[in-house]
Amino acid sequence: MSGSRDAIFARLEAARPPASAPPARMPAPAMPADPEAILRARLEFAGGRLQRASRENWPREIEWPIELARVTHLYSACSDDPVGPDRGGATLPARGVAENPHRVHDLAPLEICVLRGQFAVVENGAVWQVPATPLERAAAVLAEHLIVLVDEQALVATLHQAYERIDLRDLRFGWFLCGPSKTADIEQALVLGAHGPRTMSLVLTRD
Amino acid sequence: MGHVSRARQFVSDEARTKWHDEALWSIRMNRDRAADLVPDWERLRTEAASIKRNTLSRLPELWRQFEKEATRAGAVVHWARDADEHNRIVAGLLAERGVERVVKSKSMLTEECGLNPVLEKLGIEVVDTDLGERIVQLRHEPPSHIVMPAIHLRREEVGALFAREMGSPPDLDDPDELTAVARRDLRERFLSAQAGLTGVNFAVADSGSLVVVTNEGNADLGTALPRLHIASVGLEKIIPQQADLAVFLRLLARSATGQPISAYTSHFRGPRAAEVEPPNAKGEAESRPPELHIVVVDNGRSRLLAEPAFREALACIRCGACLNTCPVYRRSGGHSYGATIPGPIGSVLEPSRDPARHAELPHACSLCGSCSDVCPVKIPLHHQLLTWRARLAEAGHHSKRRRIAFALVGRLCLRPRTYRRLTRWGRRIARALPASWLTRLAAPWTRERALPEIPAMSFRELYRLRHDVPDVASAEDPR
Repeated sequence: MSGSRDAIFARLEAARPPASAPPARMPAPAMPADPEAILRARLEFAGGRLQRASRENWPREIEWPIELARVTHLYSACSDDPVGPDRGGATLPARGVAENPHRVHDLAPLEICVLRGQFAVVENGAVWQVPATPLERAAAVLAEHLIVLVDEQALVATLHQAYERIDLRDLRFGWFLCGPSKTADIEQALVLGAHGPRTMSLVLTRD
Repeated sequence: MGHVSRARQFVSDEARTKWHDEALWSIRMNRDRAADLVPDWERLRTEAASIKRNTLSRLPELWRQFEKEATRAGAVVHWARDADEHNRIVAGLLAERGVERVVKSKSMLTEECGLNPVLEKLGIEVVDTDLGERIVQLRHEPPSHIVMPAIHLRREEVGALFAREMGSPPDLDDPDELTAVARRDLRERFLSAQAGLTGVNFAVADSGSLVVVTNEGNADLGTALPRLHIASVGLEKIIPQQADLAVFLRLLARSATGQPISAYTSHFRGPRAAEVEPPNAKGEAESRPPELHIVVVDNGRSRLLAEPAFREALACIRCGACLNTCPVYRRSGGHSYGATIPGPIGSVLEPSRDPARHAELPHACSLCGSCSDVCPVKIPLHHQLLTWRARLAEAGHHSKRRRIAFALVGRLCLRPRTYRRLTRWGRRIARALPASWLTRLAAPWTRERALPEIPAMSFRELYRLRHDVPDVASAEDPR
């Protein structure tokens, strides 16, 4: 209702506080000496796990939450050899409901979801991820276990540097993911797997 | 019933009070440990406070920019002057689309607006999906904390509730197993809901993006599955640009729970993308295109903005740190405040909404100042609480007893000689009375404390005696 819109803007205008100086920006903290150790500590604090693997052979190198041979439903962001600089990485075909899904709801039985992340944030253990499709986004919260691959070079010290690498104006959806879905709403006891993944691994991949 | 009598009910369960106090204090300690790991923490707080101050002086421009960008991205922006209008807009959107079930992630704003009963009256099932909020929804009570809605409950109570509502075994009280029960129940509801409702942590003006933060991932399931997303956002949630997100997100989870960041920090710009669906027999897509509706709500915020003494409270990012540290909140429980938002920040915000109803809240405070010390955006909470006391007294919202008492003390303080004479007699009488009488006279203060020994002389008398100085003040006192 434009009447309400105008009324609200009029109220805001009438209540406007005196102009205040634009905030002074502090310098972004530098990368710590041992970024991987801090990243690992923060991720483990969040109930997640840091793994390492090679880009060509990660499916055989990482520790899977369920034995890979026994997984029926698996979403994979690595089902094709990617184009561009990531070319040459190992591929992992989708399985079960993720082979030919039509609606996001079809993905409900997913056991594992494998994503590619853009970069990880050392100070808090989070990974920035931009789902390629609405299916990928739903897969990441519907699956029992989440695995996110990130290039070992793609680390930033803090969220300040993270937002320098992101342009929200180009982005319909993107998220920081840190550890599995969790809750402490019953007597402050930490429970992993509140609604989404029960485990989460961040895999640093090297060439 | 006021704060004091509701608090009395809460503390009558001593074990619960002790547990509640210690649980919240441990969260406060987690916050300290997390803040200590950030070397530039204090500078971060200063920067956050100055971004908010600057933002509050530019709200009309920033909201216009947000509206333009969000609309360009395909969202529809609605404006609501008050709670009723917000509820009408949301109910209208749902009714037009024939929605029967909505999944809602935590939003103190929809709580403030009283949205759930409005939708339920229309026959729409509203499912609160944050575990704590689901628990209090099933118990038909409001959240007792803005971040941990069910912090007032023990595991046995949750077990009994789930046994009744979800058919779990009655003696189940393990948090892991109880969470699994709720997960199964809620997963079905996520998959069958036609709309997802969320609150908003930050609205970013320069991109028209919304940022929503959760640990459970409930806002993400609730917006990744249904095609209709309605986000309710208060006028105070806007920030100018994405670089500001770094400052606030570094502060938010650390202040709230002691986590460096929450599990999910989601950035939405416009409605979600549609799946590529095969057309039906008629060659049409079967589902509606995805939609994002953003309802921007005033509901008293512009009134608070007009108040120089209180406008900084609009900088609040709802982390709950002031609740966790507050000695009164920890020992009296969130429900004792009788308000949507309890604790120090609630005691500042709620009296501006309804002064008569919430006049007691600024007194639920010892003025220890711990809230102001932990506030990530440096709201001078305890100063504002003190200012409220004076305001509410001037506006006649104090009880008759308190008015008379303050008038007497005020008069007495203006007459030093009378004051000294009265206190001298008071001391003599008190020293002559048996201790049990005194204890009874000083109740309820003496319920958990012993009275100190009553001194024979006042400080002034002692000082004169020891330093052999004349009583200058009383010589100059004309009365």
